[in-house]
Amino acid sequence: MSSLAEALLSCRQVSRYFGSLAAVKDVSLDVMPGEVLGIGGPNGAGKSTLFDVITGLVPASAGSISFAGRSISGKGADEICHAGVARTFQLNAAFEHLSVQENIEVAAHFGSTARIFPGFRVAASARAAAAESLETVGLIGKSAQRAGALPVFDRKLLMIAGAIVTKPKILFLDEPVGGLNRDEIDLIQALIERLRTSGMTIVVIEHVMRFLLTLSSRVIIMHHGEIIFEGLPGQVAEDRTVVDIYLGQGAAQRLRAHFSDTQHA
Amino acid sequence: MVNFIKDRSSRWTLPADAWIGLLVIIIAVAVPFVIQSRYLLGEVILALIWAGVASQWNLLFGYAGVFSLAPMAFFAFGAYATAMLSYYLGWSVWLSIPAGAIVSIPFSLIIGLACLRLEGVYVALLTFAVAQMMYLLIVTDTGCFQQIGGSCVQFTGGATGFSDFGDFGMRPLLHQYWMIGNYAVVCCGAFLTMLVSWIVIRSPMGLAFRAIRDNPGYAMARGVNRFRTHLLVFGISAFFIGLLGGLYAVHFQAIGPTVFSLSQLLFVIASVVVGGVGSFWGPLLGAVVLTGADEFLSDFGEYRSLGLGLIITAFVVFLPRGLVGEIVHLFALWRRKRQSHV
Repeated sequence: MSSLAEALLSCRQVSRYFGSLAAVKDVSLDVMPGEVLGIGGPNGAGKSTLFDVITGLVPASAGSISFAGRSISGKGADEICHAGVARTFQLNAAFEHLSVQENIEVAAHFGSTARIFPGFRVAASARAAAAESLETVGLIGKSAQRAGALPVFDRKLLMIAGAIVTKPKILFLDEPVGGLNRDEIDLIQALIERLRTSGMTIVVIEHVMRFLLTLSSRVIIMHHGEIIFEGLPGQVAEDRTVVDIYLGQGAAQRLRAHFSDTQHA
Repeated sequence: MVNFIKDRSSRWTLPADAWIGLLVIIIAVAVPFVIQSRYLLGEVILALIWAGVASQWNLLFGYAGVFSLAPMAFFAFGAYATAMLSYYLGWSVWLSIPAGAIVSIPFSLIIGLACLRLEGVYVALLTFAVAQMMYLLIVTDTGCFQQIGGSCVQFTGGATGFSDFGDFGMRPLLHQYWMIGNYAVVCCGAFLTMLVSWIVIRSPMGLAFRAIRDNPGYAMARGVNRFRTHLLVFGISAFFIGLLGGLYAVHFQAIGPTVFSLSQLLFVIASVVVGGVGSFWGPLLGAVVLTGADEFLSDFGEYRSLGLGLIITAFVVFLPRGLVGEIVHLFALWRRKRQSHV
């Protein structure tokens, strides 16, 4: 876990309690620049809460988080966004009554610098960035549509576009392919690959294991708020605890078969 | 201006706004020529003042999602500040009205600092409490600040309020047509209020207001600071509500604690609900329609609040988009139908 290279993001003994329930318990992890860290685990394992804590939507009960060498513990979600941490949400969050274009313009205008006074015009640079990110995800043709009227797949793309337009150093994706069909999953996967190649560090939560394991360079499995596994994607289906708690024998076998196939191919 | 219009995504609404604005201005200019009755013109003035206040409450609630029940507190603050500056310091009303509007900003920010950390219904409760507190402080003020001709004047004017602190000076200027002068002044105030809110709504400020209204958590995660944005909308609306309060006080040459009454607050809210929450022209139409309806309601005295309550309920249940919202909705349906035929 410790490495000579400096971690982009590091969490030390981070916990979050809701009453007496520990949603996240003593989690320590480092995210290295340029890697894709996959996070899996059963429902209620604390994956999304960990995201909420790191991105400042929910304060940590204990522990410290630092990003790019600076502490971001206790900072507001907007400040953490300005620092270069962007995320998407499991429930397809959007500004329902705003157009696709406006959804992205908000993020472009407010996402990369704190604006004490928002001004009277959307900055030209923000406008250009908005067009670019809509182009990247492939929503440019739908920019006049109301976000609330978009189908699930487009809402996922809209969230990703809103995240990348803030020019983040690290991107947290919370179930980017949940509820999508196979073709759509492939499109999202290709999009994330492109983002990774462009140098973005990515942390992704997903239940679709094949997607998660193919994309990630390193995987963490959480259960009851704790990290129960950390290793390479190929090792996940071999780990006894993970198979018992999360995958089950059937899924583990299919994954193993899938990985030996891709290795031989 | 043309540039501003061209590069927005929701293209068709903007030229429409410009046309509607032009039509409204033409009507506003024609009104004093058409309406001869001084009483009726007075009612139109009142409708314009409430339309301005309603447009600001719409900015707060309809656009930014801040459920503030303090609009009448800011209205009263602007009105009292205007009256007191003219009464005690002898300022010309032309100076004390803008001054009243300006001091409404820091006042609203202090209240905002206390209330806007909270969300939703708690903001409503706290702002309502602030307005009630102001009302009580004023009506229970019995200490003599000045003795005028043997009678006692409280610092806040007490239960009677202030009168004869100055006027627009239209009587010596326009003689029997002085009401038209007052109408012109109030018209300018309401026009300024609506023009600036239009600009604000179309700017990144409006974008931030609507984003936070739609999804506060998501807006925060995209770098929009909720608290600061809400303070901003509080300050902007307080300036214009305070300005309209000052105009109201000077137009009537009197201001008293009755502006805090629940029926005044209900009237403002009803104007927005009837016209259409979150639609730019809604509050104007709502205020005009309700002022007309109020002509009938006021015959029933204390049942006025009941009548307004029933109107609000009826619109929330049967026409939740409001009058303007319904018109826009029907227009959109018609457009879609026409497009699918082509």
